[in-house]
This record gives sequence, C-alpha cells and structure tokens, in this order.
Amino acid sequence: MNKTNENSLNILLFLCNWGAHAAFLNLQDEQRPIPDEIRMVRTPCTGRIDRAMMLKAFAKGADGVAVVGCEPGTCRYGSGTATSVRNTGDMQHILDLMGLGGERLRFAAFLPEQSEDMLTFLQDFTADIRKLGHAGIETLPPPPIADTAQRKEELQQLVTNFDIHACQDCGKCSSACPLALVGKAFSPRAIASAVITGGIHAPGVRENAWSCLTCGLCYDRCPSAVNFPAFIKDLRHLYRQSELSGQEVHGGFFHSLMRSLTSPAVKPRRWAGLPEDIRIDPHSTTLFYGGCAPYYDIFFSKHSDVATSTILVDSLRLLNFFDVTPRLLEDERCCGHDLLWSGDKENFSRLARLNVDRLHELGIETVITTCPECFMTLHTTYAEQGFEPQFNVIHLYDFLEEQIDKGAVCFEPLDRTITFQDSCRLGRLENRADLPRKLLKRLKPVRFTEMKESGGASICCGNCAWTGCDAYSKAMQVKRLEQVHATGSDLLVTACPKCQIHLKCAMEDPFRREQLGIEMMDLTSIIAQTIRWE
Amino acid sequence: MSTPANNIQTEIIVTGFGGQGIILAGRILGMSASLGDNKESTLVQAYGPESRGGACNAQVIISETPIHYPYVNAPHILMALSQAGYEKFTPALRADSILLVDQDLVQPQEVPCDHFAIPATRMAENLGNKMMANIIMLGFCTAITKVVTTESIQATIAETVPKGTVERNIEAFNKGFDYGLSTLKGRERRAAGQTGAMV
Repeated sequence: MNKTNENSLNILLFLCNWGAHAAFLNLQDEQRPIPDEIRMVRTPCTGRIDRAMMLKAFAKGADGVAVVGCEPGTCRYGSGTATSVRNTGDMQHILDLMGLGGERLRFAAFLPEQSEDMLTFLQDFTADIRKLGHAGIETLPPPPIADTAQRKEELQQLVTNFDIHACQDCGKCSSACPLALVGKAFSPRAIASAVITGGIHAPGVRENAWSCLTCGLCYDRCPSAVNFPAFIKDLRHLYRQSELSGQEVHGGFFHSLMRSLTSPAVKPRRWAGLPEDIRIDPHSTTLFYGGCAPYYDIFFSKHSDVATSTILVDSLRLLNFFDVTPRLLEDERCCGHDLLWSGDKENFSRLARLNVDRLHELGIETVITTCPECFMTLHTTYAEQGFEPQFNVIHLYDFLEEQIDKGAVCFEPLDRTITFQDSCRLGRLENRADLPRKLLKRLKPVRFTEMKESGGASICCGNCAWTGCDAYSKAMQVKRLEQVHATGSDLLVTACPKCQIHLKCAMEDPFRREQLGIEMMDLTSIIAQTIRWE
Repeated sequence: MSTPANNIQTEIIVTGFGGQGIILAGRILGMSASLGDNKESTLVQAYGPESRGGACNAQVIISETPIHYPYVNAPHILMALSQAGYEKFTPALRADSILLVDQDLVQPQEVPCDHFAIPATRMAENLGNKMMANIIMLGFCTAITKVVTTESIQATIAETVPKGTVERNIEAFNKGFDYGLSTLKGRERRAAGQTGAMV
C-alpha cells in the first residue's frame, strides 16, 4: 500500500481482528502518522499466526514482523495471546540463530482504546528496523512452469536415467515397503508402472511420490537394482516444475528456513552458547559440521523435550577427547538435504554452491559430521551433483572407530539394556550399517539386542525431508516402537536427530504413552559419556 | 620416566614361547639399530628344544659405542609374550626398566618397574594372522621406548618378513605403534585428571 520505492523496507504487521485492530482503525481514521513501511495483515487471532507463517514472511522478503494482539485475559479465544507470545519467543531464537536477529520480530498487545500507545510502538519498531536495515533474504522465484513437451521429455529422461524399464513388476519392493506394510495404498512398483505408461499425474501416484520415505528398502530388495529413492527425488523435482506443490509438513517451516539460508547476505550465528570447556581452533583445516539440530530443538520444544543439540556438543567433546580441536563455521548453513529430497533442486544448488565455496575459501581439508543426512549430502551428493568438493568428508563414527581401534581407551559399563534404530541415510543409502554396530559392540551395556528388523532391513523413523507425514507415518512409528519394546530394552539408541524427533512424536500418543514411551539417546552421547582412557 | 634411548647402552630381552617370532623380533630390533640408526648392536638367541614351544628369549644390546659383552644381565627393556618368560626375567629388572607385555598372555604381579600392556596376539588375530603379534609388540615397543627410530624399524621389517606379507606386517607394526602412542597419551590424560570426554 505505502511502498514508495524498491529500497524501502517491508514491515509486516499481523493484527488481531478484535482488540488491536480497533486501535489501528482509530489511527487510520484520525490519519495519524503510521510509518510508511508497515503493511497490515488482519487476522482472526494472533495465536493462529504460527511460526511457519512468521518465518515465511521473512523468507518472502519482510525485514521486520510485528505481531499485535490482545492483552492477556482479553483474548476472545482464551489462549490466543499466550500462544502467540510463545510462538514469537521461539521465532526470535530462530532468527537469532539465522543471524537475522530476534529483534526483527516483536509481539505487542493493545486494548482498543490504546491507539496512541500502538502508534508509539509501531514508530519505535519501524525506527529499530530502519537501523537494522534490510534482512537480506533473497529467494529464488518459483521455478518457471515447464511446457508439456518439455515435461514429457524430462520424464523420458528420468525413465532412462533410472532404467525404470528394468522393473520386472515382481512386487518385492511393495512387499518390503514399510509404508505398504502398515496398510497404506502405496506401491513403488505402481509408481514405476505409472511413470512408464505416462500416468504420473494421477492423484494417487502423486500422493504416493510425496509420501515415499526414500528410505531405500525397496532399492535394497529390487532384483533389477532400480534406484527408487533417487528416482523419487528427481520425480519430485519434476512435480515441482509443473506447479504441483509438495506436501511440506510443519507448515513448511523447515523449507522456508532452508530457502532463507540460500541468501548469501544471511550470515547465521550458528554456534552461540557453546559450553566453555569445548576447545575450538579457528584456524584448523578440520571442520566440524553440525547440522540443523539447534533449529529443531527450538521448533520442537513446543511438542516434546527433544535435545538434539547435545549430540553436537558431545561430538565436539569426543573430538577434543582425541585431541582434535576442530574449526566451526560460525555462519554454517543447512547442507540442503531436505530441499533436494523434496524436489527443490534450484534452492539446493544455491545452498550447495555457497557451502562448497565457503569451505574451499577457508581451506578446509577435512569435514567431520555426525548427522547422517549432512554426511551423505556433503560426502556423496555434492560430488554427484557436480559441485566438486575438494575436501574430505568423514562421519564422526568413522573417526571414533579409527581412534578407539588404536587402543588404550575403554568404556565404562552402561547400566542399560539397549537396542538400535538405524539411520536410513547411513545404513542403507550409504551402505554403512556395520559402522555404528562396530561402536555399539565396544560399549558395555547390560545387553544389546537388535530389533526384529535391523541393519540393512531396518524400518524408517517415519518421515524424510519434512514431507508427506500422515496417519500411516504414525502407524509405522508405532510399529517400530513396538519392535523396540519387543527387545525388552530400556534405552533406544539412535544415530540421527530426526529419528529422535519422529519417534518421540509417536510416543506422545496420550492413549498409548505407557506402552510406547522409551528413553532415547544418540550413540554419540552414549560414547561421550562412557569413554575412558585406560 | 627416563627413556632408555638416552642411555649409551640399552639392553633388551624379548621372551616368549618358541614359534611366536621372539628371535625375529630381537633380530629386527638389533638390525634396525645397527643398519638403520648407525649404532652398534648384538643379538644372543637362546633356544634349543624350546623352539618347539618352550620358553625362548632373545637378548639384544643396542649401543652408541662398541659392545664388549653380548649377554644381558639387567634388561632396560623386557618384552614378555609368555608368563614363564616373564617370571624368569622379572627378578632381573631394575627400577628404571620398562616392562612390555601381551596382556592376554602375561599377568604381571609386583613389577619393580614401569610397565605397559597390549593385547598384541588378539590384535594380530583380528588382522588375520596371530604370527604377527611379535611385529605388533615391536610397534608398541618403538612407540613407548623409542629405542629405535620408526623409519629404520619399518625398513628392517620390510626386508626381514616373508615376501608378500610386507604390507600386512607394516600395518601390524603401525597398529602396535598407534596403540603405544595412545597408551602414553591416556597415561598423560589420567595424570592430568582427565579420564573421560565429559567434564
């Protein structure tokens, strides 16, 4: 409405329809000087402006966001104000991590008669944002819609690239697929047939392609070695080009986050608040790449008490234990795994380019990571996609196995009975299911029992790339947790922060909390807690 | 800890069962010192009927100056791969000697000097051949006592072991060497009060 030129700032004002909007109307009626940069969006309740929407506002070019609702106690819906305070609080932390600064987001509450107070608030906020300047997020425009002929050609290319015609229609994939086994009308084989016969835009096929876990179990079983997960990855990219949007879960929060991080001007402050005893060397050529755990912890603290950042701290402790003082990338971005696997190849490429260039510029020779998705992406995908990384990528488990194998370290007894949830990226897609097991065998738990389906046959935690979560995902997680309990273990060891998040979510079931609940701990943390010099 | 390498003359006894490669280990040590490190060395090998499984030992002297008498009275370094050998030579140890044992084969009791243990035979089995336990012990010994240089002993191993097994033997040596370094580091850490990864 008031936009004067290209360089002017964008401040988005989410305004509650009830109390606060009346105050705003007064300001407008009396032609009070509302700052030009402010664009108002009227909403029924600020409690409904969730964190994904706030982030999306920034991802789409807002430089500041004000959420203005009603005084606590005057909320028409009871809990709207409290919800909004909590949401804005979370988002401020996220914005701090992203390096944008939590002060770009503000919550305030006004009664209808407090219009002058509101004006002061808006003017102060605008003045602050003017001082901060542009947030600097430049997102790619959505991909141009490909014409039909081009689409057909790309589809043909997909069929050739992945040799879909090699599919023998044997159905081994469907009989192994964990989604199909919990009853979802899902069949990798049917998707393959649909692709060959040109029916990929049938609703069922489309839905299937977005809910695929890309866990790789079907690829493992396929007698013709059709690389189904990679095929789904490219099929999703094709879908995105023809306007069919993906089913991004959590309101698209994580996708907005990753897309925002593709802007070179955004400089995250990723490692604030690290414990003081962690030793870091800002000049080392060995870099520890953390991954997105801190963002997850803030986002999911609303639902459950996951603390996946401890995995990163424990990883650093273990590196220090073995005399490695790694460098940390203060402005570390996402590796882009989830963008690529949800079909957003364009933004993935921007992230990958930024990451690879940054690591080269710093002269990094070795990257150590503990996140299986970061590992696969940095180690394998970047090279596959032609980004030519000149650094060596090793998983923390490889580093630990090598060091522990040198001897003179031992493990304290762990007074727990344990079982292990494989990460699909490390276990199957990278074919390293043996790696965590080597370490598990070194531990001294009361007992280590494998689940019914483990190693290469392991079942996914229920979701991948933040897409297509539904009731079947939940059913699958419940099935997995039942397998966990069937081992009689009292501690579930995980190797991926997302496994913890997803399985924890399934445990929140209010009717089955007793049967499904079990403590979880990452393998890295267990090692960090029990390792000793002999 | 005084390292024997500082002394003018270092006396070493390698002991174990016949067939463990005890004599070969002694030979490699002596050859590395004389051929690689330009020192003097002697080797006295004691076996006989023992080479069919009884106790045997190799006595090595490494010196900066010519050696006049090749027998070892009080070893600076005792490398024991059998309980019998360990018991036979322990009384001869001095307070500043260093005892190195295979922890699965030898149970040291009331050792008068500093001692280090390594599961050499088990490690060799994991590498696929328990005959390499002696080479692992050499790696361990090199790391801890620095009695010979790594380069010269690796060169000697490469020349001494049967053709076609050089790579595996060097790997075994490195295993033992890494274990030794790790052991020293662990000691240092424990002494500094840091035992685990958590603070």
